[in-house]
Amino acid sequence: MTTLGLQRTFRVLYWANVWLMTVGCSLVVADEPVEFKNQIAPIFEQHCIRCHSPDHRKGDVSLATLDDLKSNDYVVAGNPDASYLIELVTSQVGEPPAMPKKAPPLSAGEVDLLRRWIRQGTPWPPDVVVKEKAKADSSWWAYQPLNVVRLSESTSPQSPGSESLASTIDNFIRANLAEHQLKPSPPADRQTLIRRLSFDLHGLPPTPEAVDAFVSDPDPQAYEKLVDRMLESPHYGERFARHWLDIAHYADTHGFERDQRRDNAWRYRDYVIRSFNEDKPYDRFLQEQIAGDVLWPDNEVAVIATGFLAAGPWDFVGQVETKSPELRRSARSLDLDDMATQVMTATLAMTVNCARCHDHKLDPISQQEYYQLQAVFAGVKRGDRVVSDAAFRQYEEQKQSLVARRNSLDLEKGRLEGKGLDLADIVGGGNGLGTGTYRHAIDPRDAKVQTQNFGNLDNVVTNRFAQSPFEFVDGVVIPDGEDGKTEIPVSSTGVTIRGLPKTSGNAWDMIRNGPVASQHSPELDGIDFTKDGHSLLGLHANAGITFDLAALRRALELPPNEAGSPVQRTSESAGNRGELSDLEVPDTGGSESAATPLRFTAQLGYFGAVGNYFADAWVFVDGHKVAEYRKLSRADGLQKIDLELPASGRFLTLVSTDGGNGYSMDQIGFGDPQVKLAVQRELAEEARHRLAEIEAQRAGIDKEHEQLGSPPRFYGIVREESIADVQLLTRGDPESPSGEPLAPAALSSLAMLDPDLGTLETDEGERRAALARWTTHPDNPLVRRVIVNRLWLWHFGSGLVDTPSDFGYGGGRPSHPELLDWLADELAKRNWSLKAMHRLIVTSETYKQTSYDGPLSPSEQNNRDVQGSPSYVHANNIDADNRLLWRQNPRRIEAEAIRDSVLFVSGKLNLQRGGPGFEDFSYQEAYAPIYTYITADEPTLWRRSIYRYIVRTTPDQFLTTLDCPDPANLTPKRLTTTTPLQSLSLYNNDFMLRQSRYFAERLRAEAGDDVEAQVRRGFALSFGRQPTAEEVRLATDFVEQHGLFSLCRSLFSSNEFVYVD
Amino acid sequence: MSTEPYTRRGFLQAAGGGLGGLALTAMLSEDSLARSHHSPQAKRVIQIFCPGGMSQVDTYDYKPKLERRNGSPFDPDGNLQFFASKPGNCRSSHWKFRQHGQSGLWMSDLFPRLATCIDDMAFIYSMQSKTALHGPACFMMNTGFTLPGFPSMGSWVTYGLGSEADDLPAFVVLPDPRGLPPGGIINWGAGFLPAEHQATTLHTTNPRQPIADLFPPSDFPGVSPATDKAGLEFLRKLNRLHQENRSVNSELDARIKAYEMAARLQLSAPEVTDLSQESQATKKLYELDHPEIGSFGRQCLLARRLAQRGVRFVQVYCGAENTTAKKIRPNWDSHEDLNRDHGYWGSVLDTGASALLIDLKQQGMLDDTLVICTTEFGRQPAAQGDGGKGRDHNAGAFTAWLAGGGIKGGVGYGATDELGFKAVEHPTYCYDLHATALHLLGIDHTRLTFYHNGIERRLTDVHGDVIGELLA
Repeated sequence: MTTLGLQRTFRVLYWANVWLMTVGCSLVVADEPVEFKNQIAPIFEQHCIRCHSPDHRKGDVSLATLDDLKSNDYVVAGNPDASYLIELVTSQVGEPPAMPKKAPPLSAGEVDLLRRWIRQGTPWPPDVVVKEKAKADSSWWAYQPLNVVRLSESTSPQSPGSESLASTIDNFIRANLAEHQLKPSPPADRQTLIRRLSFDLHGLPPTPEAVDAFVSDPDPQAYEKLVDRMLESPHYGERFARHWLDIAHYADTHGFERDQRRDNAWRYRDYVIRSFNEDKPYDRFLQEQIAGDVLWPDNEVAVIATGFLAAGPWDFVGQVETKSPELRRSARSLDLDDMATQVMTATLAMTVNCARCHDHKLDPISQQEYYQLQAVFAGVKRGDRVVSDAAFRQYEEQKQSLVARRNSLDLEKGRLEGKGLDLADIVGGGNGLGTGTYRHAIDPRDAKVQTQNFGNLDNVVTNRFAQSPFEFVDGVVIPDGEDGKTEIPVSSTGVTIRGLPKTSGNAWDMIRNGPVASQHSPELDGIDFTKDGHSLLGLHANAGITFDLAALRRALELPPNEAGSPVQRTSESAGNRGELSDLEVPDTGGSESAATPLRFTAQLGYFGAVGNYFADAWVFVDGHKVAEYRKLSRADGLQKIDLELPASGRFLTLVSTDGGNGYSMDQIGFGDPQVKLAVQRELAEEARHRLAEIEAQRAGIDKEHEQLGSPPRFYGIVREESIADVQLLTRGDPESPSGEPLAPAALSSLAMLDPDLGTLETDEGERRAALARWTTHPDNPLVRRVIVNRLWLWHFGSGLVDTPSDFGYGGGRPSHPELLDWLADELAKRNWSLKAMHRLIVTSETYKQTSYDGPLSPSEQNNRDVQGSPSYVHANNIDADNRLLWRQNPRRIEAEAIRDSVLFVSGKLNLQRGGPGFEDFSYQEAYAPIYTYITADEPTLWRRSIYRYIVRTTPDQFLTTLDCPDPANLTPKRLTTTTPLQSLSLYNNDFMLRQSRYFAERLRAEAGDDVEAQVRRGFALSFGRQPTAEEVRLATDFVEQHGLFSLCRSLFSSNEFVYVD
Repeated sequence: MSTEPYTRRGFLQAAGGGLGGLALTAMLSEDSLARSHHSPQAKRVIQIFCPGGMSQVDTYDYKPKLERRNGSPFDPDGNLQFFASKPGNCRSSHWKFRQHGQSGLWMSDLFPRLATCIDDMAFIYSMQSKTALHGPACFMMNTGFTLPGFPSMGSWVTYGLGSEADDLPAFVVLPDPRGLPPGGIINWGAGFLPAEHQATTLHTTNPRQPIADLFPPSDFPGVSPATDKAGLEFLRKLNRLHQENRSVNSELDARIKAYEMAARLQLSAPEVTDLSQESQATKKLYELDHPEIGSFGRQCLLARRLAQRGVRFVQVYCGAENTTAKKIRPNWDSHEDLNRDHGYWGSVLDTGASALLIDLKQQGMLDDTLVICTTEFGRQPAAQGDGGKGRDHNAGAFTAWLAGGGIKGGVGYGATDELGFKAVEHPTYCYDLHATALHLLGIDHTRLTFYHNGIERRLTDVHGDVIGELLA
């Protein structure tokens, strides 16, 4: 602006001259009225708006509307000479016009039009806003109907077998090569082909046996049959699911700051594997993923498919935790962006997200259309969902019946064995024998069952007893002794306790089976009470809980027919109580014959942090204090409790109070809290017999339980209660909505389809169903172009369009447009079968070409300038990137394929399919959970990488180093890098070394002690071929000096292991 | 089989065009791969990141009006809702502010040592973030975007400039030994850039294995330096035989070379982390032996050593993941007790950062090393919590500072309102900070681009202006 201003005073002197130059030609049409929309707006669009828009405002002026132009005298209605705009766009003193700065000047005719428009008073209809035009419009190649050209070779009558059609591919490729004076490379040998196919279709190397069988197969159809077999293998789905999950940016945690678990996400992953394996028609595959729950609500598979929409990251803190509505709107807006973007890039390779802040600058996608797409998803959010109510009910019924059977067996067994009942388990809703749920809890305010974490409790009423519905728990209380005389009720029968000190009256979290929320540590004196069969009753101050001893006694006592005679008192030291000070010993009543005395044992401790923190703990029986621990701190360690409870005892009460210094850190816990019979009895013969029976039944139930698996829940989308209005957001800012609420719609650039997806009133599900129908409409050319291009990428390492998720102006152009359309057409003809398309592609000669030139002659080797044979050099000069496919592309296998191949070759790959992912990390619950990777060195962690539990914030460093992408991104194509860190990972990583050792063990087992045999087997397993004589010599020497393990380690690190020809 | 002596230039030409060629740039330097757009002022960057949200009004941004209004209602109408709370009363700085140095800029008593460096530092008082959530705000400060999946500034810089060092990675991160920052390791990820541009994490607490897999695990049966070496030699022969038939695949050659460079890294990485050759005075300067603040001092000293050896971008974390534990928080997120948490982290940062500036100057490195100190957002001038001892998140204002590498010392840029609530003069997102840093490195931020899913992506998205006022 400043510069322009200075120029202005100078240039205006020359104005008259310019006027004379331009006025000559304008006289002819001077009177004709200028039409703004069709004559002036296009000039602004073409030359000005890119830099002078509301978003950019270079020089503080926008040409979107008349306002800026008028306010600064850029245009003075009726007076072109006084209008600065005209000066800017015309040449002054032989210098080029000041504007446009970075583009050719306006033509004389255009300048003249501007002058006339100003002279006529700058008419600008209010509804016309000048916008930057996208580079591409709806005539862009990708949006046109398929153009199916039949080359002459394929028009001749042929049998409809796949072979002849595969040759159609070759005809397209060869026609193009011929135009560039290129020839295809010769076919690769069978050894190369089976390894190529195996990695392509399975992501695994072939076994040496499979290589031998194929190489020596006399059947001329051997290759086609191999392809068929490989497509039928379940490994095919495991391989291609990985590709699709890259596009869906799938992971098993939410991501962002609190990267919490998504334990049910795997069902969608299994859905994808299964869909590929079943060769689900691609249109149906997409329909299910966009709206399977609407289109086929009773089909569980289709419902789970909607996990696609929820596969990406999700910000818990932004959407749920924060109290700020502004932050929530922002997070939600990005959430909807993620869904809309994912669907459109995956299915149509349209980069709609570029239109979030403004109209797409390259492609014909308006900002309004973008928000209309968001409106399709405005009624859904991500969340866990049951697969179907019926399935869930059935699961729950089965589970409950199993649990009930198991519990009754356990109770009986426990009773027979005289085993104690665990009070922590009881707090977790259990029977005292392990049926409780870890970290389930009882609310000290009202005795309700709680499963979530709490912090400071609101609405606390102290000294109010709340009765529990649990059989073994009488109830709970939050105590405050006030003056020490207060009677605090601790039972449903009105028993009270007194003598407790004054407390803060506050309470933290719940009475838990396990540590309380934010507990400093579950460990004390070297015992972690969450591990190794230990248990912990978490009793953060201030809280009290009363157990019903009568009920416990009933569960513990043997029926008379099973009881033998008493054998021993289990209490080693009844005088244990003597260690405690100032006790009121309750009246034991001496009624051993009527009821059985019990024993309470536990390891009490203060589990909060070291420091000036302490609390009190108390034990009462029927309101009488039997143990008291004052100012207990972490430094005091564990306190052993072993108390005999009188036969008459009815209630056992455990209490924690805050020690008078606030309840901070006061994590009192009773470790391994047990109530058992004080006197053990010997078992009668009959009972021993029964015990054996129970064991057998119990094992059967465990097996059934395992088979039942995890609950039929999946991570997908759930309906919002109502559909929030979606408006256009100015510059993408959720705080700047503009215009009316938008109805759902698809994109108008695909002119053969109706973009209308409904109205504002359209039901949530119907919106998605309409989008699914629009996307997979038989007339939609783009959806098929995009998927066949992806298939091509997955078989050649590069697509016919080399930007597989961007078919717009910013992306690549098809190298073979006619082939692309022919393939897209074939897909529909083949009932959208992807396997049919694989077959077409991999049986083509183009696919089967060699990827390299073969050995150079010795003289060529000595000449460092020689880069290959003459024909190869020629081709390389013309098409170094091999876009024309005069050879196959050699490829390095992906991170997951490397890991899987290592396991496959070492013989350790665990082929278990489906189900929850394996976790090669230790998981630590925290505000932001901590995932710490461990070396995968057990069979459960040796599954294929597709079954890995994928953590967003903490990716597996080994795989990341090997180019495994960040699942935050939609990854259409894997990148390959070569770095020293990769070398270090493959050569030194603990997993790699252990696998090398297993590989060596395998070689010894399969090849015996003969070193050459070991070497031969090692090469065959690693590379799918026999070693050359030179390799045998080198490798046997090496093994003899450094051992077989070192050979295996080097084979895993070799180029040949990770490259496919 | 080629046994010709290997030349890097020849190799790069052979590898050029494919990704294999690009792949090693992060580790190579002899050939000038630097794609500078103009003559750089800074050759390298050390960035200190203070996650959790550092309070501007208790540190750098002096607000006398806030002092005067201490205890009066901040939001009398009750309209505001912060991240976790409604605003409490105005709360003046927990530390006294004083003017320092020739410049007379203000700094609070939280940073007595840093105050002595004030004439080398340039402050941006008007920083803002697009979000008040730790994870997304950390992403934004590091990558320019609130969403995960974008390349961090260090990745962009190495993508643009490669490395100065031929035996160390170009981009190294030193996380806080207490743990990862909010959002985890993708804060220094390469996003959609090729993976070689991701940061290499240096574990300051593991001298034997400062980089993951640098060496085999100790005591692995059958592994010794001798077998390591013999195995690599055998591997090289195997790879050369394999390559004979595949002379055109330059990636194969690159991969052979990568193993040789890995061997070099095995020598250089332990050397750089060995502090025994540093003088007692230096160790004292960084307070290496201090039980609480020594670990950050060690990170800062390592950052200097890395920069000295040509590492292009070093990022040092002063703080870990957020938590609700009722003890000193593991980062700057001071909701309940700012005095306690900023008090702790303040002394940590004060020592390490001041030592770094002083040391760089002594080493003659400050002139071409750009030091940046940032957080992801600021804190509210109003108090939070029952006792009013904490402060809630504030995306509207925070302070960042820069020093060295072409930065004019002793200047301030931009301003917040009179309470320090919102940036009002030159409000600045990370874009301008990033643009300025790239500018000093010789890069035009609008021209450092990478195509991904339809967009030529930039660190600065479609924004960013170089802040001329900060340049020397």
